Amino acid sequence: MIFALFLRELQSKFNDKFGLSWAFFEPFLFIFVLSFLRGIISGDMVHSIPLFIFMMIGLVGLRTMTGCLQDVSVSIKRNKPLYAFRQVQPMAAVITSGFLELCIKSVVIVLLAIALYLMGESFEVNDPLLLLSLFALLWVMSVALGLIFAIAAAFVPEIDKIKAMLLRPLMFISCVFYSLQDIPEEYWYLLTWNPLVHFIELARYACFESYGSRGVSLSYVLELTVVLTFFSLALYHITWKRVLSR
Amino acid sequence: MIKLVNLTKSYSSQLGPQYIFRGLNFNFPTENNVAILGKNGAGKSTLFRMLAKSEYPDRGQILTNKAMSWPVALQTGIHPQMTGRENTRFIGRINNVRSLTNYETRVREFAEIGKHFDLPVKNYSSGMRAKLVFACCMNIDFDIYLIDEATSVGDPMFRKKARAALKEKSQTAGVIMVSHELDQIREFCTSAVIIEDGELTYYSDLEEGIEAYTQGAT
Repeated sequence: MIFALFLRELQSKFNDKFGLSWAFFEPFLFIFVLSFLRGIISGDMVHSIPLFIFMMIGLVGLRTMTGCLQDVSVSIKRNKPLYAFRQVQPMAAVITSGFLELCIKSVVIVLLAIALYLMGESFEVNDPLLLLSLFALLWVMSVALGLIFAIAAAFVPEIDKIKAMLLRPLMFISCVFYSLQDIPEEYWYLLTWNPLVHFIELARYACFESYGSRGVSLSYVLELTVVLTFFSLALYHITWKRVLSR
Repeated sequence: MIKLVNLTKSYSSQLGPQYIFRGLNFNFPTENNVAILGKNGAGKSTLFRMLAKSEYPDRGQILTNKAMSWPVALQTGIHPQMTGRENTRFIGRINNVRSLTNYETRVREFAEIGKHFDLPVKNYSSGMRAKLVFACCMNIDFDIYLIDEATSVGDPMFRKKARAALKEKSQTAGVIMVSHELDQIREFCTSAVIIEDGELTYYSDLEEGIEAYTQGAT
């Protein structure tokens, strides 16, 4: 069933001229350009990490989160005509778009890795296991958040505007193009509530041990992910039948 | 037979919840082709969608052991960007059709839309869409077919074919139909269920039902 939805989503998402390649190319280009811009402005190294890689990790983290959240949160509404089939439940739509987004982002990461290799910038990931689990956690958390937004938007359509407003500053408060270490320690509390800061800083640490992981913790994101997942699933369980008749 | 047990359904509105059914108990016969009759807003479509489990009641249950089709209406489940063939395959997939290629050719033949089958549905006329949806439904074996009025819009030739197909199906399966067009109902159905003020009444003779319905209207 989810396979059928998956095919359908693929077919409909990439019906324009660019097709599937655009989905991979767009974030790739975005990350590339921004990283180069920052490279021109300041030096080559940031806290012992090559700047290009530093920026890349930040942007990949950000894009994974916002892309997933955005896609999952509109999935319930977009597949509305399909709920006429009793086999299709809103959850299937959520899972499908979540997986699609995961696939796209994985391919983008592979493309970036190849690009790095070709530019001779290759490096050894210090702790691949941590990096992978961070990526998986980030994905689960984004899907859970997306699900919450999707259910909320089914009842109050204005939620979509609030969501857009919340997502916009995320780029600036999530340590995408600076490090937490650049900020005076007494102001850390302004940033560290944001799980994305933890994800991005930890991912940098996972790639380069010398970067350090001061001020961020894996357990915080782990707990937050578990709580959010549980909350979103509970919310879904009590509301999905009402979502259908909306 | 479909059993409605203690069925309650409401929609929220500015004036508080609007109840359509309240603690309804009813045995819905499915042996014949049944028409659902009722005024606008009486709850025909709601009942229809609940029978198909596209929507769920607030309280109570709908019990049946029959395989029911989805509510076949003009637009359901058809993606305008996808071609007729892709749409057919999707419907086949989620309904667990055994051989997709077989199903595809049968739908193509039945729908009579020729080469349009490989063009996006957004370029179809409404009659062609109706044909496609109807063909998709008819080529899957259900115990009960749920058909909305919009499906019977096709040209007279297709209508004749549709009626023949429904006739053939009604040997082994039941049909439940919602429509305002009494002519259409006479064409397809043999008995009627009338919805009035959240209550259902069954008439085993269609003409009797239509008479009661039109008299209630005047």
